[in-house]
Amino acid sequence: MTIQVLILLAGLLIYAGYGIYGLGWLAAAVLVTYLAGLALPKHKWLLWPVIVVNAVLLITIKLQPVTGFGILAPFGVSYFTLQMISYLADVRKEKYPPERSLLTFALYLTYFPHLVMGPIESFDHMKQALAERKITWDGISSGAVRAIWGAFKMYAVSARAGVVVGTISTSPEEYRGAYALFAMLLYSIELYADFSGCMDIVLGISKMLGIRMSENFNTPYFSQTVAEFWRRWHITLGDWLRNYIYIPLGGSRRGKVRKVVNLIVTFLVSGLWHGVHYILWGVFNGILVATGNLLKTKYRVLNCAITYLLISILWSFFIWPDSLTALRSIASLFTTFNYGDLVANIFSLGLNAGEWIAFVISLLLLFIYDLKKESLTERFDQFAPAVRVVVFGTLTLLVLVFGMYGIGFEAEQFIYASF
Amino acid sequence: MKKRNRMKTVLSVLLVAAIFVAAFLLLTRLLEPKYATSLTEGSMINQYYEEAGGHEVIFVGDCEVYANFSPMELYRQAGITAYVRGTPQQLIWQSYYILEETFTYETPKVVVLNVNAMRYSEPVSEAYNRLTIDNMRWSASKVGIIQASMTEEETFLSYVFPILRYHSRFDELTGEDFTYLFQNLYSTYNGYQMHKEVNPVESLPTKRALSNYQFGDICYEYLDRIRELCEEHGTSLVLIKAPSVYPYWYDEYDEQMEAYAEEYGLNFYNFLDVTDEIGIDYSTDTYDSGLHLNLSGATKLSTYFADILSREYGLTDYRNDPEVSAVYEEKLAVYDAAAAE
Repeated sequence: MTIQVLILLAGLLIYAGYGIYGLGWLAAAVLVTYLAGLALPKHKWLLWPVIVVNAVLLITIKLQPVTGFGILAPFGVSYFTLQMISYLADVRKEKYPPERSLLTFALYLTYFPHLVMGPIESFDHMKQALAERKITWDGISSGAVRAIWGAFKMYAVSARAGVVVGTISTSPEEYRGAYALFAMLLYSIELYADFSGCMDIVLGISKMLGIRMSENFNTPYFSQTVAEFWRRWHITLGDWLRNYIYIPLGGSRRGKVRKVVNLIVTFLVSGLWHGVHYILWGVFNGILVATGNLLKTKYRVLNCAITYLLISILWSFFIWPDSLTALRSIASLFTTFNYGDLVANIFSLGLNAGEWIAFVISLLLLFIYDLKKESLTERFDQFAPAVRVVVFGTLTLLVLVFGMYGIGFEAEQFIYASF
Repeated sequence: MKKRNRMKTVLSVLLVAAIFVAAFLLLTRLLEPKYATSLTEGSMINQYYEEAGGHEVIFVGDCEVYANFSPMELYRQAGITAYVRGTPQQLIWQSYYILEETFTYETPKVVVLNVNAMRYSEPVSEAYNRLTIDNMRWSASKVGIIQASMTEEETFLSYVFPILRYHSRFDELTGEDFTYLFQNLYSTYNGYQMHKEVNPVESLPTKRALSNYQFGDICYEYLDRIRELCEEHGTSLVLIKAPSVYPYWYDEYDEQMEAYAEEYGLNFYNFLDVTDEIGIDYSTDTYDSGLHLNLSGATKLSTYFADILSREYGLTDYRNDPEVSAVYEEKLAVYDAAAAE
């Protein structure tokens, strides 16, 4: 109990660092959802007003760039709003009873490692994880290694890819064709290393605290189709969209056409959740998920490459500041063939030769780890404590030396924290 | 048996952890700039620790002290034992903390402060901060100088763990980084940086009119603290302005310094006013077109100042002290050899 209170206070304290306004919003969200949950068994009608109010607030925030109607968005609102909605919907469906302990419920929404970037947990899973919380040497050592591995992905891989993507994306007229494709392929790596690296830190810290949280990534770039990619990328958001949007719409139960429509609507919601600028991205993804099997070949590696390419092209909407520029950059892939130019200018894109070497080696390490993830994790669990310290120490030194951070490098925030 | 195994595990973990701490320290040292053969100004601050003690005069200030005043010439002229604790672009609060640190090693009779730094009311550059602070020994003064000097982009942690600042040098390492991994190479003579080249004054930048000539409150605050620190230790404070002919020092600045000196009974020497008397010839006595003096100019200025110091502050003529003179004769031999090269 004491540790739970400490974790809660730590979360609120960290959140308060982003401003009292956000803390007030979060506290109100906790209280309203907690009380609505308690009242739901007797007043089932309460579900919709609470969900609608939250959904309207969230949609208003997301549409702000278009409508100009401003509400200051508290940090992580996209994440905790989905958790609030899932909790109320589950209680309404009597999947589990409403939580009576305000402490447990508050911890569910405000647990600091996942407050601003997920994973988006269901209440029953989080409650169980908190109840089974146990701090062990195994948990501390493997959690610490996972967290530092996440830092390696973010600082050694994502940050370097981000420098090149940033250079290309800031001059869309100058960097077209091969440069645009290079930016798309690198952004895939940047985003994956950043977001999954952050998740490694969240899950690693949680493991050190004895709390087992849901996985958010399962080596998505090894997927055979776009549909499979979305089952392995941001898994908890995918689960949420499936459980609270796709299935209530009818899922695949109402015929093929309706399934396609439901998929596109679900991805449209996903796009909107990311922001109004990403609606088109959501729709394109929905279409690719519905039709992706058409592109599947009998060669596994080729399927991975096709999926990686398609997903990378769609990330254009995240790379360039507006949909039109993104579409123009995509179009330039078919009109500008300047691959020789790209090779000749590779060192003028923000990384010098040494940094390119560091990036390629770091990327290879990430690739090998993802390829052998399960066997490596299994082997790590069998390591003696001293060997675990060796692994942790080596990774720490790698991050410290080869990470891209500090003066002369404008560190981006976690990319997904802005959604 | 179980207890023994647990002990073995704990010891092995501690041993491995210790090895990694050592590796961390080694990597930090490897990646830090060595300031041995290039950018040698960065090693001025730590050279002092090897020579601390026994100085009757301590200079603090920016390049205008370490390029213009030669303690060897002060000794040659009047037997003065002096050390220049100058660093590039040393700001007034940095002079204060360096002086505070100096008083923990020795108590000089005279502190000479070059007031050029009064022009700057806020941290100027991270690179200059690093040259001054990186190699300072850890003490309350170092904590103070970091906190006072940090620019917005800097963090205290990166001073505690320099690897956070210098990690990106992994692809810039040169032979110097390995040669001077476990040793330092110093290039000053009691803090004086010798330049023998001659680059005469040909044209000077235009003197710009400023909208405000008033020194900042923070500068006065630290000047007061320097004065009070000297008073606490019974040390005389001398204010000087070195004779850099670049038009960065204004009459309005001079008036403020004169007023301050008068208010607190201090001496203020603006050597720009007496260059003829000193005999400085800016066609032969400067190595960078008038910004700093070369060896010839520094010798003239130091000789001139040596007379003032020994006359006004009753300094000991250590040329008559066999023990000290033996040390200084040896230093002079090295200095003269370098000058003659």
